[in-house]
Amino acid sequence: MTQAINLDPAARAIKDIVTATRTGMEFPGPVVALEDASFHVKRGEFVSLIGPSGCGKSTLLRLVSGLIKPTAGHLNVFGELIAGPRAEIGMMFQKPTLLDWKSVFDNVLLPITLAGTVKKADRERALDLIHLVGLKGFEFSYPRQLSGGMQQRVALARLLNTGAELLLLDEPFGALDEFTRERLNLELLRIQSDLDATILFVTHNIQEAVFLADRVFVMTPRPGRLAATVNVPLPRPRTIEMTKSPEYNDLVFNIRDTLGGFI
Amino acid sequence: MSEQTIPLPAASASRTVPVWAQHLIVFVIFISIWELAVRNEWVSRLILPSPFAVIAAWWDLAIVKALIWKHFFVTLTEVVIGFLLGAGFGLLMAILSAMNMTFRRLISPYMVALQVTPRIAVAPIIVAWLGFNMEPKIAIAAIICFFPIFINSLTGLLQADDERLEMFESMRASRWQVFRHLQLPGAMPVIMAGFKTGISLALIGAIVGEFVSASVGIGVLIQRFSFQLLLPEAFACLIMLTVMGLLLYGTATFADRRVIFWKSDDLVTKSARKLRAKHAAMLASRADAKAE
Ligand SMILES: Nc1ncnc2c1ncn2[C@@H]1O[C@H](COP(=O)(O)OP(=O)(O)OP(=O)(O)O)[C@@H](O)[C@H]1O
Ligand SMILES: [Mg+2]
Repeated sequence: MTQAINLDPAARAIKDIVTATRTGMEFPGPVVALEDASFHVKRGEFVSLIGPSGCGKSTLLRLVSGLIKPTAGHLNVFGELIAGPRAEIGMMFQKPTLLDWKSVFDNVLLPITLAGTVKKADRERALDLIHLVGLKGFEFSYPRQLSGGMQQRVALARLLNTGAELLLLDEPFGALDEFTRERLNLELLRIQSDLDATILFVTHNIQEAVFLADRVFVMTPRPGRLAATVNVPLPRPRTIEMTKSPEYNDLVFNIRDTLGGFI
Repeated sequence: MSEQTIPLPAASASRTVPVWAQHLIVFVIFISIWELAVRNEWVSRLILPSPFAVIAAWWDLAIVKALIWKHFFVTLTEVVIGFLLGAGFGLLMAILSAMNMTFRRLISPYMVALQVTPRIAVAPIIVAWLGFNMEPKIAIAAIICFFPIFINSLTGLLQADDERLEMFESMRASRWQVFRHLQLPGAMPVIMAGFKTGISLALIGAIVGEFVSASVGIGVLIQRFSFQLLLPEAFACLIMLTVMGLLLYGTATFADRRVIFWKSDDLVTKSARKLRAKHAAMLASRADAKAE
């Protein structure tokens, strides 16, 4: 599963894909959804975002995706002040947001359909992606025939089909059983190394956050803040066996303590 | 294979009398009471003709003299053309309003005015404008069915949820693509419901037009027979209108189910099977590619 990444050399040279400088977001209300967030995300890095409900995780992703603009501070993505959605950024939403009137296949093809004409290679790639997320046999089913977890996997295949290099995933596997989640976690890591993608991954699951990430951003609510950054020095590629290691479990407990202190 | 069969509710199987027989029984009882009421003079024969008199009158008008069909098809044509005009214009205005906020704001007072004015009241004026042929009836049918179709379509087009809109935005879809791939298909259930309301209203509009002034049409016949106190004949014409209404509504319901196929388990399964057959070669080639 390889594909060309359409970045000009200047953009390729940038090491920090995302740079936030005292970024803040206040919604009318006023609700301070995010306050004073400063961080970097390096090329190829996997960052997990964890925190209780309402602490601004989705808001942070929407800021990075360019869907909303920060009300305070600066936010640079690919070396430029983010001014709107870009082709290099792909977003997967908390809900599957599939189109009920399109088959799984056509849903996965949507990014290509929107970008121009669909070629034979695109169709084949869409099928491969559907198989990759474990939906063999459901290629031409419609969303109403799928469970919530299956729909979420279609959304993942669609995201991967955008060809984006910075992937923003908002609790993508929350609706999945432990077994499927584990499999898709491993797939996601494999895809990330194949594509040399940079990933921001929101989850409520501490184990999952640690298992996937190079760094875990721990967030706290009211106002939404980045409370701590935890490095995960486990080697790559990650294996399920690593979840038995004391190192991994220490990290999980550390984060649980950090979160517990704020709730 | 992905085909799943959904079991039907067991209720229909456990009933001792089939549904159609139940309906038949109720219908026979209804007709019998009607016949008895007339035969025993509980109501005057002049006010309510007996069902057999109505059937006899219908037989005479439809089969023996065969004069009802001309009127039937004139009315049907008025309704269908009126509906198509009203629906087309309603949908077009809804699309323009959905795409352009300024347009929506500017036309909204007129739409409210159109909504609160009893549209039937314009019938005599339209007849004065357009004369005594089919045109005024078509226009009245179109005006009467325009409004619910416009409102339904606009509501449907504006109801796309924020998350899907953002998804399209994040994929940098154009305004037209959002309309084509999200808003229009998403609005289809509501638009089709508007069409179903509209087709019945178009029938009312055509009949009102015929009442105001006409020489051909079922409405004309009903009026003429009623004036002459030929009530069995008037009732026979009424039944023709019921048949026409059922025909129109049935067509709309049929179209509705097909157009929004994704709301039906059966149709979705069928469509999935068709797609799978269409792409069978590609599916097989991808499976091979995997195996290597
Ligand atoms: N468009 C908006 N207008 C007003 N307030 C908003 C808006 N979007 C988010 N908020 C508020 O901002 C805060 C953070 O919301 P956000 O959706 O980012 O939380 P979250 O961390 O993703 O929560 P969850 O884990 O439940 O998804 C919440 O208090 C929410 O009410
Ligand atoms: Mg969220």
